[in-house]
Amino acid sequence: MNGRRPGTAGGSARQIWSLGGGKGGIGKSVLAAALGYELARMGKRVILIDADLGGANLHTCLGMGAPEKTLGDFILRRVERIEDVLVETGFRGLRLISGASDFLGAANIKHLQKVRVLSRIRSLDVDVVILDLGAGTAFNIIDFFLISDVGLLTLVPEPTSIESGYRFLKAALYRRLRAVAPTEAIRQIVDAAGDRKNSLGIRTPLDLLNTVAMEDQRALEPLRREMAAFHPRFVLNQVRDEEDGVIGHQLVTACARHLGIAAAYAGSVRFDDTVWKSLRQRRLFAVDAPTSQAAEDVRRLARALSGGENLAIEWA
Amino acid sequence: MSVLRGNHYALMGIEPGATTEQIEKAFRYLIELYGDEALATYSLLDPGEAKQMRAQLREAYDVLREPMRRLEYDVRHGLISGRAPSLGGELPSAAFGAGVGGVDNDDKTGRPGRAEPFVLPEPVNGRVLRAFREERGIRLREIADTTKITLRYLEYIEADRYSALPAAVYLRGFLQEYARAIGLDPRRTSEAYLANSGIQETGE
Repeated sequence: MNGRRPGTAGGSARQIWSLGGGKGGIGKSVLAAALGYELARMGKRVILIDADLGGANLHTCLGMGAPEKTLGDFILRRVERIEDVLVETGFRGLRLISGASDFLGAANIKHLQKVRVLSRIRSLDVDVVILDLGAGTAFNIIDFFLISDVGLLTLVPEPTSIESGYRFLKAALYRRLRAVAPTEAIRQIVDAAGDRKNSLGIRTPLDLLNTVAMEDQRALEPLRREMAAFHPRFVLNQVRDEEDGVIGHQLVTACARHLGIAAAYAGSVRFDDTVWKSLRQRRLFAVDAPTSQAAEDVRRLARALSGGENLAIEWA
Repeated sequence: MSVLRGNHYALMGIEPGATTEQIEKAFRYLIELYGDEALATYSLLDPGEAKQMRAQLREAYDVLREPMRRLEYDVRHGLISGRAPSLGGELPSAAFGAGVGGVDNDDKTGRPGRAEPFVLPEPVNGRVLRAFREERGIRLREIADTTKITLRYLEYIEADRYSALPAAVYLRGFLQEYARAIGLDPRRTSEAYLANSGIQETGE
C-alpha cells in the first residue's frame, strides 16, 4: 500500500498482500489459503501468515492441525527468529505462520512488539507473504493492512459486509493521515474524524479535508498526498448473481465520489458449494475441486494480482 | 454527506468532451449506483441524499443529452475551448460565445461577426439548426433578406420537410447560405444536414 519499507538485511519479501474485511464470517481465511495455494502452484514461494491474533484458524482451512509454534511465540520472544515459527503446509512452495490463538491478549500486542513483527515479516525471504487479518478495525489489524504492498478488502455482496468495509477503509485512511498530520491541532481533527459521532460533523475523509482546510490551509497538501497514495483493492467473495459483479465497480465509484479514496476492483469469487463442503472436511476446495468455479476465480485473481493485471484504478 | 459539487460533467464523472454514448452509459450506471437498494451507497448516503443525487443526475442528463442545451451549458460555464474534442473537433469558442446568454462579447449585435464559423455536433437536423439560430437571436426573415432565399424554404429546412425542399444540388447551396448567416461552418453544416436527411444526390 505504500512504498515505505524498513531497510532489511538479507532476504526480503518481494510483496506483502493482506486480506482485510472488517467483518468476520465472509470466507476471508479460506480465500487467503486458496490464494496462497494457487500462487504456490504458479511457482511462487509463498508464506501465509495468520494475523488474526484473536481467532486464528488458517491452519484448519489448509487441512492442518493447530501448529505447535505460532506467531504468539515470536511476539512473546519464546523463539528468537520469525523463521522458527514457520511450518510446512504439505503443499510445495507454501508455508504457514499460524496465529496466536493460544494466549489471551495477543490481539492487543504492544507497539514495539508490533514494529518488530512487521519488520521481520518484511525480511522473510519469499516471493509473496499473504497476511490474513482479523475482523474489526483495531489499530493492530489496520497497521498490518497498511504495511502491505497490496491491500485487499474482502467483501461479500451484502449490506453489513459493505458497511464494515467502508468503516475499515476510513479507519485505515485516518490512521495514515494521522501519521502525516503536521501539527497537534490537525492530529486532533483526524482523531475526531475517527469517532463516528464527532462534534465537527465529519462523516467522510472529504469532510475531514474541508475541516482541515478551514483550520490550516498548509496542512492540506500532506494530507491530500497521503490520500492519493492510498489504493485499497476490493475482492468480492461469494458472488451469487451475475449482476453482483457490477457491485465491485460501484464500490470503486462510490469510494472515489464520496470518500475521496482511489480504490480498485481486483475481482470476484463466485459462491460455490464445494468451498464449504471441503471446509467441513477441513480441506481446501482448491485442492479437492480444482476445476470448480471458485477455484477458477481464485486462480484468475492470483494471476491478476501477481502479474499486475487488472489493478488499474478503474472508473465505471 | 456533502452533496457533490461541480458542473454537470463532474457530477456524471465524465469529461466535457464525452460522447453521447458515454453520457448515456454514465447516467444509467450512476442512477443505479444511487438507487434505493444499491449496496454500494446505502451506508454512505441517507435516503434523502440518495434521492437528491438522483435528481441532480437527471437534471444534468436532461441538459447533456440535448445537443443545443448542452452547447448553451458549455458556453455558459466556459467549457468550450478551441480544442474541445467532442463537438466536431474544431470549436472556435469565440464564435459561439458571441450572443449566447451570459457570455460577454464585444459585438453589440450579438451576431457572429468576423469570428470563425462553428461546427455543430452531429446529427444535424432542422430542429438543431433552429435552436442554434434562436440562441443567437437571428430571425428567419433577416436570413431571407440577406441570402435571397425564400422564407418558405428556410422554414422547411428547419422543419425537416425534405419532400417540400428543392433537389439536393440546390438545397446544398441554400444550406450553406443559411449556415453562413447564423455563424455555422457552411460546408460541414450542409454535409451533415444532407447526410442526416438521407436526401440522395441525383447527379452533379
